[in-house]
This record gives sequence, structure tokens and C-alpha cells, in this order.
Amino acid sequence: MTSSGGFKKWVHSKRAPSLVKMSFVSIAALSILSWTIIIIEGDTGFTNLFDSKTWGNASRFIANMAGIHDSTTPSFLVLDRWLVTGVLAYETLLMSILAIFISGFIALATMLPAAKNISSGEMGGIKSTTGTVAYYIVRLAYAFSRAIPELVWALLIVFFLSPGVLAGALALAFHNFGIIGRLTAEVVENIDPAPARALRTAGASNVQIFLYGILPQTLPQFLTYSLYRWEVVIRTTVIIGFVSAGGLGREFILRLNWFHYTDVTLLILWYLILVLCVDMISFWLRKLTKFS
Amino acid sequence: MLLCTFFWSLTAVNWNGPIVHTGGGSAFITFLSALFPPELSPSFIYVCITATVKTVVFASAAMTIAVPLGLVLGIVASGQIVENNSPSRYYIIITTRLLLGAMRSIHELVWAVLFVAAIGLSPLAAIISLAIPYAGILGRIYSELIQDVPNEPIETLRSAGASPVKLLMYGYIPLALPDLLSYTFYRFECAIRASAILSFIGIQGIGYEIQLSLHDLLFDQVWTLLIFLVVLIVLVDLWSTNLRRRLMD
Repeated sequence: MTSSGGFKKWVHSKRAPSLVKMSFVSIAALSILSWTIIIIEGDTGFTNLFDSKTWGNASRFIANMAGIHDSTTPSFLVLDRWLVTGVLAYETLLMSILAIFISGFIALATMLPAAKNISSGEMGGIKSTTGTVAYYIVRLAYAFSRAIPELVWALLIVFFLSPGVLAGALALAFHNFGIIGRLTAEVVENIDPAPARALRTAGASNVQIFLYGILPQTLPQFLTYSLYRWEVVIRTTVIIGFVSAGGLGREFILRLNWFHYTDVTLLILWYLILVLCVDMISFWLRKLTKFS
Repeated sequence: MLLCTFFWSLTAVNWNGPIVHTGGGSAFITFLSALFPPELSPSFIYVCITATVKTVVFASAAMTIAVPLGLVLGIVASGQIVENNSPSRYYIIITTRLLLGAMRSIHELVWAVLFVAAIGLSPLAAIISLAIPYAGILGRIYSELIQDVPNEPIETLRSAGASPVKLLMYGYIPLALPDLLSYTFYRFECAIRASAILSFIGIQGIGYEIQLSLHDLLFDQVWTLLIFLVVLIVLVDLWSTNLRRRLMD
């Protein structure tokens, strides 16, 4: 872009509509346009909303979930079913942990080239083209990994790997390493360069600089972000299961397709328990990392 | 300790079974080679564009429901419109918090599956199922932002005799506005991503097209759609990042 300077000047000048204003107008236009498109397309389901049949279906569905019309005991009242699905919940939990560890490892391994201050040699290293190229490659990989939703990753992965916990964990990891990596790289970019410089003048090797100058400042934030992502990951494990990647999600979609509604309720209950537990553990661990 | 957790999580993987299934390796190579070139016929590009537009349409329609709903619930959950000494205050806050928590802990796709089962496959089901968890998360963040507002201006208004509603209108909301808007835009970005996945249950959009092409083993089409998805999300990401930086200044 040759006119980039001119463009920048135009953006910052008073005459240009500010980005904020422009965004508001476009968001407003977008929402109006969206509703127009939806209504023009017809068959929105809005007419169904006032149809007694829809409400009948919906209430029957809820009744089925609660097991009211069921002759057998609803599964969520049977201890045995709780135990059987508990195994799946355990599997799901492990899948989320595995996923967050894989993405964390990749993020940690790639955070240095992804941080501008490191790759440009600002920390005392030498500026090299390799560093710059690595910076763009890693940043591009992050963007790609982030932009593709977990579900798409999972769909692609089950084509190559046998469906199961590993496939699901990999799908989750591929989506999340971009997010954790980007956040961590930003942390590295904002660290205080003084310790690293001091270490370098004292003759420390690159590994030592990394271990004592960079890592201590980055690790707490990195752990916090990973824990936050873990909370999100446990919620999405179910989705991954929809494409047969194992755990609660697969069972959920199967039971729904077999019309075992009380089982669906049981699985949702387990899911909520998992989400709650993970939220609490993560909250507790985040507090721990702050104090240390 | 972290390493132990990692190895513990590895036990869940069934290492004895085949990890790469039969033909998986060659399928991978076929898939990769389909990138050169992706499907670029005009008719397919048209399909991609319609799918992209549909994805954005559902996302913004859902946000138009989620934002007002989240704002109302968030204000109630922040407890600022109820008089401090009223005895029901505590219960109102707890109930709305629980409601918001329940709304957001169930993933949008799970809501979608439930809604499709309950009211049938329609755009409405998609919009509602996207709006519910988003209203839940927006409501929670809104309530926190409203609570984090600096205290002095509020106290000044209160000592001037402002009612709780006036406090909200002239105190809390204007003070929290940049944060509120910034977070809303961030969520809009997320909604587009979510809308792309939502179409996996059969509602038109990028996800639906990806699924169709993948099932037909048309990997070149999958690549085109993936490129559309990545470009859409990166663009929205850039927009929202820049806008939020501007809002925060």
C-alpha cells in the first residue's frame, strides 16, 4: 500500500467519519438489513410461534424431557444410569484437560517468535530475517487456528483419525492454541525488558535468559488465560462430541436421535455439573496463580 | 503437578486401537492436495457468498435480541435499580444471576438442537438459540461493568436526590458506556463465529455448506469455504480490535 500514509492521515483527520461512528451506522444497518432478509426469505418460523401446534410440540418435548409420559422410570432417577454416564463425563473432562495441555504446549513453544519484541531482537538478541519470517508465519498460523471453529476442526480430524477422545482433544487444541498463543505473545510483548537485558550483560545464555528473564513474567498470565480457555473448552467438548469425537456430546446426540429424552436430561445435568466444577476449580487455581 | 495432570489426561485416550484409521493417511494427502487449487467456479463462489451473508445475517439478528435482553437482565443482576435497604434485593440479584448462569452455561449448539427438536427447523430456532447464551454472557458482563463504575459521581447524584432509575440513566450507564460497547462488539465477533457453527444443525450458512461438501468428499470446495470463513472472521476480528482500541482511548 503506497498511499498508506495518506490513508492514515485521512483517518485521523477531523473530516473523516470516525471509525466508531461508522461502525455504529453499519451495525445498525446490518441489523435492520438482517431482519429484512430474514423476513423477505419467508418461512421464518414466526408464524409457527403463534400456532398452537408448535406450542403443543414444545410442551410435549419438555414433558418428554422430564419423563412425564414415560412408562419407565426416568433415567435421571436411576443411580445406575448416573454411573454409566458419569464415566462419559469423566472422559469428557479428561478430553478438555488434554486439549488445554496440548494447546498450552504449542502456545508456549511458539510464543517467542510470535512476540514482536523478541523476533525483532529488541531484547538484546540479533535482528534477523529468520526472526521476522518466523513472526509472520506463527502469527498467520494463530489467525488460521483461531478462525476455524472447533467443530470444523473436529469434522476434518475425524476424517483422518479414529473418532475418540484424542481426535476431540486435538480439534479443541487446534482451535485454542491460536487464542492462547496470541494472548501469551501479547503478554511477552509487554514484559519489562530490564531483567532480560541485565541477564544478557551478565553473560547468560539464551536458554537462561528465557528461563529467568522472560518466563517468570509471562507464566502467571499464561496460566490465567489457559484456565479461562479451559472453562470455554469444557463447554465446547459437548459440541465436539456431536461429530462423534467421544464423550458426553456423542451420547447426547445419539440419545436425542433415539428419542431417549430422559437420558438427554440426564446428560444435560452431567454437563451442567461439569461446567460448574470446572468453573470453580479454575476460579480457585486462578486465585492460586495470582498469589504465587 | 501439571505434568501429572497431563499424563492422567492421556489415560483417557485409547492407545491400543488404531489412532489413524485405515486410509486416514491417504485421505489426509488427498485433502491437502485439494487446496491446489480450491474450487473457484463462479457458481460455487456464489454459493459461498450467500452462505457467508446468511451467517452474518443470523449473527446480527441474534445480537439485536441478545443485547437488549442482556442489558435488562444485567441491570437487574447488578442490583442497582433496587433500593439498598429493600429486603427482596438479595433474592432478585440471586435469581437473575442464576438465570443468566443457566442461559450461558449451555452452549448455543445445544440450545439449537433442543430448539430444533422443540419448535422445528427454522431461522427462528437458530436466532433464539444464539440469542439465549449471548444474552446470558452479555448480561453477566454488563452487570459486572455496571458494578465497577467509580463511586464518587454516583454518590454525588444520590445526594442530589436522584432515584435509582435516574442514577442508572445519568450515572451508571454513561460511565460504563465505553466498556459496555467494547464488550458488545467483541461478542458480535464471537456471534459470527458461533453462527457459522450453528449452521451445522441444518440451518443455512457456512458450516452447513462445509458439512455438505465434506460429506460429498469435495475437498476443493471445503477449502474454498474454509478460506471464506477465515477471511470473514479475520476481517471482523480486525474491525472489532481496532474499534475497541478506539473506544478505550
